[in-house]
Amino acid sequence: MTDIKKTPAHSTSAGQSIMLDRRQLLLGAAGAAIGTATLGVASGLGIRPARAADRTEISFASASFFGKEGLGDLVKAFNESQSRITVKFIELPPPSSSTEVYQGLVQQLARRNGTPDVFSQDVIWIAGFASAGWALPLDEYFPKDKRSDYFPGTVAACTYGGKLTALPWFVDSGMFYYRKDLVEKHGGKVPETWADMATMAAEAQKAGDAKFGYLWQGKQAEVLVCDAVEIIASNGGSILSADGKSSVIGDDAAVAAIQFLYDTINKTKISPQSVLSWDEEPSRQPFTSGEAMFMRNWSYVYPIAQDPKASHVVDKVAVAPLPHFAGGKSSACLGGYQLGVNANSKKREAAIEFLTWMSSPETQTRLALNFGLAPSRPAIFQDAKLKAEQPFMASLQNVFTGATPRPITPQYAKVTLALQSSISKALVSGNVKAELQAAAAHINKIVG
Amino acid sequence: MAVTMTVAVSEQTPGKSRALSSALWPWLLLLPAFLSLASVSFYPIVNGVYLSFTNRSLITQDNDFVSIANYVQLLADPPFWNAWWHTIWFTLISTLLETFIGLAMALILCETFAGRGMVRAAMLVPWAMPTVVTSKMFGWLFDGQHGIINFILLHTGLIDQNVNWYGSPDTALTTIILADVWKTTPFMALLLLTGLQTVPKSLIEAARMDGARAWTIFWHVRLPLLMPTLLIAGLFRALDAFRVFDLVYVLTGGGPADSTETLSTLSYKVLFSTLQFGYGSAVTTAMFLTEGLIAIGFCIFLVRQIRRTT
Repeated sequence: MTDIKKTPAHSTSAGQSIMLDRRQLLLGAAGAAIGTATLGVASGLGIRPARAADRTEISFASASFFGKEGLGDLVKAFNESQSRITVKFIELPPPSSSTEVYQGLVQQLARRNGTPDVFSQDVIWIAGFASAGWALPLDEYFPKDKRSDYFPGTVAACTYGGKLTALPWFVDSGMFYYRKDLVEKHGGKVPETWADMATMAAEAQKAGDAKFGYLWQGKQAEVLVCDAVEIIASNGGSILSADGKSSVIGDDAAVAAIQFLYDTINKTKISPQSVLSWDEEPSRQPFTSGEAMFMRNWSYVYPIAQDPKASHVVDKVAVAPLPHFAGGKSSACLGGYQLGVNANSKKREAAIEFLTWMSSPETQTRLALNFGLAPSRPAIFQDAKLKAEQPFMASLQNVFTGATPRPITPQYAKVTLALQSSISKALVSGNVKAELQAAAAHINKIVG
Repeated sequence: MAVTMTVAVSEQTPGKSRALSSALWPWLLLLPAFLSLASVSFYPIVNGVYLSFTNRSLITQDNDFVSIANYVQLLADPPFWNAWWHTIWFTLISTLLETFIGLAMALILCETFAGRGMVRAAMLVPWAMPTVVTSKMFGWLFDGQHGIINFILLHTGLIDQNVNWYGSPDTALTTIILADVWKTTPFMALLLLTGLQTVPKSLIEAARMDGARAWTIFWHVRLPLLMPTLLIAGLFRALDAFRVFDLVYVLTGGGPADSTETLSTLSYKVLFSTLQFGYGSAVTTAMFLTEGLIAIGFCIFLVRQIRRTT
């Protein structure tokens, strides 16, 4: 594994495989006979002789994303870009069937037979895969200076137990949608604190300009945890303590944050009762049909809001970072997919090379242009073509910068079910403190 | 090939071996069916029960025998009992409603009237629709803001503000039961209709000649003869209702505040979200046992009923 560092990271397709030729030379220098003997030793070590026709084959499993092209086209582009590696694409269901994608990956990785060599993963699976020993630590291939090319939140989400166990691929995060016309009418400035937001929303509702002040997602589902993560972090709180070994969701910062969500329905009444049964789409529809002033949702809403066929608010919608509590700072829940290498892969060099290509500025730009998936590298947001073709993405950059990961723990699947249940109970009953303290006790048992 | 040979041999050899082969013959014919059943049905059940005695987890790679630890945990697990009660409640109410409404529908469809064939066919539409579609449809009908149910109730003055059907623990399960009743009553009606049609017409006519009124005929002639059908249909429906998954999964995901969690959605979460195959298998085994008890209950009723009528 050490020899990979000696090869240039970007060994462009200059004729024959540089990497493998060099390995043969090294072997030769070690005293083995040149020629057939070398090849014999090499194949004995599982290294294939370097012939253009005989490429190293690796597999890449991913949820399928679509846009103007599919992931299959991307893989094909990689295969055509060089002559040493062939990537076989194992297509998993789309990310809307996240549970099925997760099961598919787990079943393959649990076999520990090296397939797939490379895989893409949702942020919340990273810790589990790493702790199961399925993800190859990537620190030696992507040292600190290379990691600074990415949004800090995405690198934090890819780090487990102090090791980089995944590479950021593309990001998504919670964001604050607002109606420009209504904001102008009621104060003129996009609210920065939750209190200001509630006041403005209530005013607009009272004036009859909007049926709903603020829409969010309160259904007992994963998205509720995302909404909770960001509002709690915007009050300086969090769900897990810094060491990840206990829960602090029963603390005052978190309780006050969830209390605010409860109040939007029951006190300030800027949100309808129905948010408690709404996930992303049901909350998006009233907003794009012009019934609401503010909304928390993901980046997918933006293109819909600007599509005259689907939206009554074309050109009236803009995006800002989510509000925060006085003294806190805005926080968005990190979504998006990351890349990982199978710890049991027998073709690590090729896997790393493919990984590097997939997360490269060029490929990320292509993902942004053709798939509408936002880059995890801030620098790409300056790309002129991207600004021209996907103008909304540039306005999203400062939203992505502060994206906060959900609890990073191998027990995430259990933690999220406990959170969904307790937060839903808190929002329904109004016993916020009691329910969140019960949640903390429950989560302590899971992660402790 | 082997089969033809056996036949050939058995024809040649007289006496004992012929008797033996004719005794074997049915078993041989049953063998393929048995093998396929064993592999797709018995094996998973046995394996599921076995897994419930282990701590198998796909993510931690644990796979040790833990005896009854999972069941001890299960009996002390509030989410399990919460889901258990919801499932029992759902099964009881939906089966009762579907049986009564289905019986009423069957009695109507038994009469001769113009367009009966059309009605019989049209009635099956809700049942033929995929449950996911039904779920989405009811999701919109009972939507707290834009649903037509709220609209109608508001305009007829039955409520003075929108009811959040799926977002409130007081109404969520009831609304899901309504969706199930809408979807499955036609199926019950169909089963009961076939039962009603086996009641000999001569009996009814004889009763009528004796001056019995419709109610008396129903109560003393039709119902007793329909009882076995009613019980079997009820058993089918109860076992099916007990496994309710898609309606809940699409409409509420078990929420709000766990108020619609059923055993199926709970076991789905434990098995496929957290990948705790050991504990999840204990949940499904507990489901299996409860279903077994329901089936035995129905069978006892059925046997008594048959004894009484014969």
